[in-house]
Amino acid sequence: MEKHPMIKIKNGKKYFYRFTLNQRIQHIILAVSVVILVLTGMPLKFHDASWAPYLYALFGGIKTAPIIHKTFGAILMALFVYHVFYLIYVIRKFHIAPMKKKNGKLSKMEVAKIVLTQNLVPNLKDAFDIRDLMKYLLFFTKVRPDGDNFTWKEKFDYWAPFWGMIIIGGSGLIIWNKELATQILPGEFLNFSLIAHSDEALLAALFLFIWHWYNVHFSISVFPMGTVFLTGYMSEELMAEEHYQYYVDIMKKAGLEDEILPPQRGQSHEPPEGGNE
Amino acid sequence: MKAFLFKIYMLLFMVLVVFFIVVIWNVTFGHIVHEYYERQKVNDITALKGSNEQEVEKSTFEKVILESDERVKNYLGYKILEETRIKGHFHHIGFDIGPDKRSYCVKCHGDIPHDAVKEIRAFLNMHTFFVGCQTCHIKLEGKNKTGVFKWYNRMSGEIVDSPVKTARPGTYKAKIIPFERVNGQLQRIDNDERIAFALEYSKREKTLTEGQKSRAIKLIHKLVSKKPVQCEECHQKDNPLLPFEAIGYPKERVDSITSTEVVGMIKNYTKFYMPKMLTPEEAKKK
Amino acid sequence: MSLKIALKNYFILFLPAITIMLFMPATSFSADIGNCLLCHKYPGISRVDEEGKLKLFYVNEDIFNNSVHAKVKCDGCHTDIKEIPHKHAIKVDCLVECHIIEPASKKKFSHKDVQTFINKSVHGVIDNKGKEKKFKEDFPTCKSCHDNPLYRPISFFKRVRPGISEQSLGRCRVCHKSEDFIYRSYNHVTTRLHPLNIAGVCAKCHNDLALVTRHGLSTKAVYSYGETFHGKAASFLDERIPNCLDCHVSKGESVHQMLTHKDPNASTSEQNKGKICTTIDCHPSASPKLAKYGVHSEFNLTQSPAQYFFTVFFIVLTGGTLLPLMVIIFLDIVRRFFPNASIGGRK
Repeated sequence: MEKHPMIKIKNGKKYFYRFTLNQRIQHIILAVSVVILVLTGMPLKFHDASWAPYLYALFGGIKTAPIIHKTFGAILMALFVYHVFYLIYVIRKFHIAPMKKKNGKLSKMEVAKIVLTQNLVPNLKDAFDIRDLMKYLLFFTKVRPDGDNFTWKEKFDYWAPFWGMIIIGGSGLIIWNKELATQILPGEFLNFSLIAHSDEALLAALFLFIWHWYNVHFSISVFPMGTVFLTGYMSEELMAEEHYQYYVDIMKKAGLEDEILPPQRGQSHEPPEGGNE
Repeated sequence: MKAFLFKIYMLLFMVLVVFFIVVIWNVTFGHIVHEYYERQKVNDITALKGSNEQEVEKSTFEKVILESDERVKNYLGYKILEETRIKGHFHHIGFDIGPDKRSYCVKCHGDIPHDAVKEIRAFLNMHTFFVGCQTCHIKLEGKNKTGVFKWYNRMSGEIVDSPVKTARPGTYKAKIIPFERVNGQLQRIDNDERIAFALEYSKREKTLTEGQKSRAIKLIHKLVSKKPVQCEECHQKDNPLLPFEAIGYPKERVDSITSTEVVGMIKNYTKFYMPKMLTPEEAKKK
Repeated sequence: MSLKIALKNYFILFLPAITIMLFMPATSFSADIGNCLLCHKYPGISRVDEEGKLKLFYVNEDIFNNSVHAKVKCDGCHTDIKEIPHKHAIKVDCLVECHIIEPASKKKFSHKDVQTFINKSVHGVIDNKGKEKKFKEDFPTCKSCHDNPLYRPISFFKRVRPGISEQSLGRCRVCHKSEDFIYRSYNHVTTRLHPLNIAGVCAKCHNDLALVTRHGLSTKAVYSYGETFHGKAASFLDERIPNCLDCHVSKGESVHQMLTHKDPNASTSEQNKGKICTTIDCHPSASPKLAKYGVHSEFNLTQSPAQYFFTVFFIVLTGGTLLPLMVIIFLDIVRRFFPNASIGGRK
């Protein structure tokens, strides 16, 4: 972890380290396979739509597209399994092990506490942040909520696919191996699996392509594209806009208290280098 | 400038978001609403079931005319044959001819206009597919008679080369139209002026007075001759009305059209089936 | 390249070949002895009858000659027409004994047997007590399902090209000497309907909500079939996929003898249902439980309540998540237009 300083200064601008290479690679695999899965799956769900045959033909039509779909489904599921082990490993190594060194043996309650206070676990602050965001968006206040390391948006972005992966992956496996699955399960279960698979996929696809992409691509704070998923580093402006609380913490830790930007009182729609109004 | 572009971008994105909201509504809650109404419909029909009655079909234009024209696809493996489905029709049609977009007659009379003489109406309609109305219903006499006929495309209305040699009989997508002489110049009889006149009438029909209306109708039909061109005027070997060679008919087709088979059949019809055929007005009265 | 354009180009490319291969031998065998086509080859030969129905008397010669009825002469079916010109023709009776000699029995051929199958099936107008069924006008006649069946030569025999496989014809020639016979029999035998053609036939009635409800059926069957993977694959032109008849008729039985699922002999009856999916061609390793899969389950509270609520759960989840998020995006953009405005206190 030392290889990557928390704050990197390049051309006089500060960049903040957020994602490790391992995480970035996981994200790319996830992104690519999800896009392909959506492109090969949606023509089936919306088979009546005028665009469906064309899109499906792009993937080789009914003979090839299902194979592509299953291949990338398998990749995604492998990634998911890997990710779960990765999670356990990271939590044990960086959170539980140090505590053990300090306090000796840990009780179950203490382990649970460590797990539940992880950065990505939703907490009360998220609820307050949502409330504050609504206040801000509805013009009741000029102050954006000051986000922590991971804001509620990012937690949403993380847990929605996490839950989706379980539902879609599980139901997908059942549909894929229907002969095997129906040795135990009744045939009606396939109906439920299909509903879950396609409806949850629709939710996931729309969620990622509208909500997630808006936040990381199309919102004018990041337009045309946030670079953090490639470089692992986030610019100071964005950091201050979305993760103010965390930003202040890091700056203080790094001894840069005097350089802390003031809280971003209302993001202007101009890009940082944009002209005057 | 950049700020302005960003404003435009944001406005467009707002529109996009609204569009997404509609899409998401349609693929989610819209389904529930739709299902509810479908179920209501089923309940209505079930309520009728006991009474041994069918739901009274509402004869709206939509139902009777628009929905009645189904398309059907025949999947043959090596190709897909798409055609109109006519309910209870056994033989395949195989292609579309498409309505005549040029003729202002069919705007009121339709593409299948002949109905009066029961025995030959199908024959007459058969000719309507490649012979313009004016060819038979306007008899140019004397110095107006030019003897010039040409083909026009049903869709674009433009004068085209004769399609006779390139297509199977009757499947031309073009129709024959007579030419008249105006100030020494050859001119197609369905000129733009006449089309505009007829169109104007149908547009303004509701606002016209009694006199105006009748006069308009009279004027539109002024050229129409009382007695249309008769079958044997074309279906004859010597000096037929239509200059077959000039409008692109090869010799064997001319021979077929004027063959004893065809001519004999016309004679047969005239003689045995309906002696009144040549005077449809009387036939109608009868 | 798009699918449709691809198909079209494919067709145009091979059009001359198809024309030669399919039309040439056929035209030499024209059924039009009476020269009916003298008039009926014109597509415009038509009228609108007193009921406002379009009557089209056109016969497309090319298509007819590539249909299974190509060898039947016009008056084989239109028996009342003896001369030209003729008067109004009476409706064709499909059960008529036509002039074709059936090669196996050496007897005149007729579709009469089909009627006996129909009578035993759910599609017969008379019920098993000998009484006329309710809404008898809804029940299908021959032409409700069949137009003139077209030749559909197997084109996947050792190649994926349109038309007839010369290679397979070669095997016929070993024994059969007449080219016409080979051509016709091959085409006749290989005439099979595409799953979508079959679904289209059934859809005429079974997708009609009013008709389906009148007869107490719980599903718009072709619609719900279309929502399964099988139906969707068929709509993407997969021909290996099972169609209506594959499940609803026991192997080897006449498709005209469609039985109700209450009939113990029906392929869809409680006892036989399990065998539908597990045939050697379909899902041989599956258990009979697979057949419990609700092919015709619809999103419908009365028909399948469990699935209805399951779907509603996901609908609420999807809509309930996405719509608020959309509103937030919308407000976010609005907010960025007025970054410093506020109606609240001066925080």
